[in-house]
Amino acid sequence: MSGPAASLLAARRVGRRFGARVALVAIDFTARSGDSVALVGANGAGKSTLLALLAGALKPTSGEIVRDTSARRVGWVPQRPALYSRLSALENLEHFARLEAVPTPKERARELLQLVEVTSDPVPAGTLSSGNQQRLNLAIALLSDPDALLLDEPTSSLDPRQRRRFWEIARRLPERGGALVYATQHLSEVDENASHVMLLEAGRCAFSGTLEAWHASEAIEALR
Amino acid sequence: MRRVALLVRKDGRLLRRSPALVAALVIYPLIVAVLVALVVRYAGEEPRVALVDLDDIPAVVEIGGLSFDVEELLDRSVEDVELVRLDAAEAARALRSGDVLATITIPDGFVRALRGMLVSPELRLEFSNDLLGSRILAKVESLVFSINRTLQDSYIDSNLVYVDLLTDGGSGTFAGNPFDIIGLNEAGRRLNALESANPELAPELAELETFVNEAGLAIAAVEDSLRATAHPIELVATETAGRDALLSSLAQAFGLALTLAFIAVILAAGSLAAERDENVLGRLLRGLVRPSELLVSKALLVALLAALVALILALAFGVLVETSGVAAEHPWERLPLLFGGFLLAGLALGAFGALVGVFARDARTATLVALLLALPLMLLGLVPAGSVSGVGLISDLFPFSHSVDFSDAVLSGANPAGSVLRASAWLVGLGLAYGAAARLGMRRLLT
Repeated sequence: MSGPAASLLAARRVGRRFGARVALVAIDFTARSGDSVALVGANGAGKSTLLALLAGALKPTSGEIVRDTSARRVGWVPQRPALYSRLSALENLEHFARLEAVPTPKERARELLQLVEVTSDPVPAGTLSSGNQQRLNLAIALLSDPDALLLDEPTSSLDPRQRRRFWEIARRLPERGGALVYATQHLSEVDENASHVMLLEAGRCAFSGTLEAWHASEAIEALR
Repeated sequence: MRRVALLVRKDGRLLRRSPALVAALVIYPLIVAVLVALVVRYAGEEPRVALVDLDDIPAVVEIGGLSFDVEELLDRSVEDVELVRLDAAEAARALRSGDVLATITIPDGFVRALRGMLVSPELRLEFSNDLLGSRILAKVESLVFSINRTLQDSYIDSNLVYVDLLTDGGSGTFAGNPFDIIGLNEAGRRLNALESANPELAPELAELETFVNEAGLAIAAVEDSLRATAHPIELVATETAGRDALLSSLAQAFGLALTLAFIAVILAAGSLAAERDENVLGRLLRGLVRPSELLVSKALLVALLAALVALILALAFGVLVETSGVAAEHPWERLPLLFGGFLLAGLALGAFGALVGVFARDARTATLVALLLALPLMLLGLVPAGSVSGVGLISDLFPFSHSVDFSDAVLSGANPAGSVLRASAWLVGLGLAYGAAARLGMRRLLT
């Protein structure tokens, strides 16, 4: 959120309403190359809405989203897996790879299945465990080799081993110059994976800063 | 277009994995189509009967001093039958195609024979050999009975004039020939006079001979005439191997349109809503595909599937027509045109289904709402035009009735171009309108 690196993704005074309900109010946000930003806050604080706005899956009611990259180079992993349950994992990846205009969709699909360690057997994705579905969800988001990856509570249904494996894969993006933005309810995931933290409370930004500043602030108490 | 093709391919693959759903979508409308065809042909609709007037009957006919308004007489006698005037060739074709259930032919010289009152003219009836054909026979028998009763009164009055002439003498016309007779009373008087006469009886005897001859002729004619009075018009009924009501072009068109509507509307609505169920709508619409591409892919998929099923059904109808032993000419050469109509109807119905899918929360709701909306709209399409005020307008705004019109015109019309173009224009217009509405509706998914 600060520093010399290039801004990949930003929100400028972004607000969002759903009818009469206000979900977000005038949020300023920036994710730069190498950042790993944790969005924290209680249920309904606006984390998923902010991620959907950054992903382009929702349009803001006010303000604007600025991307230094095309929408396709922003990978989005929604909290509930977004995949076709009656297609196999491989078919899902191939289908989305073709839509993403990936040059070699079959090879890319197999490569990502190996990366996330999900079976390539022709079984419907809906019959896979929730952990495997979530990793397939991540693989779909990685198809276009994104510069920024948006993860919405991605490990909520994973066991500890799957969670560890998931983060091993996700952390590679900021390490190679991309940006990672993720919503989480687990403070351990903030400490282990974040370089920056934003705390949302009832749709408003209650804290935004580095991990060190987060630890030094009183805002952290809001989640304890 | 590449992305539309990818989406269609994916949906096709999903459908192949749901054979039970596809089977239900195909079998259900077929069952409904057969039931509707039965109801339409045997209950609700006025049977159509062709009237072939080879005698060119004037609007008003005078027989035996009485005037008959022919149209009024026919309307009154067959009030629950739709009588359509056709020429002989059109009537024969319509009977074979099942467009009419019977043909009543008025032969040349019919009115002349009626006026002559010497022979009973024939009214020829050809009717199909099914349940409705029997109903028509009964109706026409009733019509002939009704006309005969009216004519009998006229004939009897006319015959009484001859009886008076035989008795009192005078001038008259018979079978178009004028005559003048002295009558039986005068003949009696003259015979009495002969008794007192002398040998110059020759002239009176000659006159008496003439009277006897004329009276003999008249009495013989009255006998024939009285026989005609019993049956002024003779009905000659012929049972013909007309097309069964279930195979009539209109019943086929209903069946085909029902199949198209069920498959296209329900599948498009369910398929679009399923994208939301699977949570992939957001992923797709954030840049992978445009909303219009998603809508087109849904409409295209269901149009292709529905048209394919309808084509198979049309082929089955054709085989049934050809093998049912009727003298029918199934328009095989028009199958490509029919398939084009199926595609147009499928696209318009698919756009309607997509509109339902946009506003439904999930696939189950979308399917149920699509069925609840489509069923009454389809039934409205079965209501004969003009029978209930306002129904035609509502029916016009749903592609079903235009799909029926298209197929019926192709299957039965001697020259279907006009009807086909009109139905096509409706289908294209409605498809675009529903598509535009669905596109507008998709905004709410993103905003």
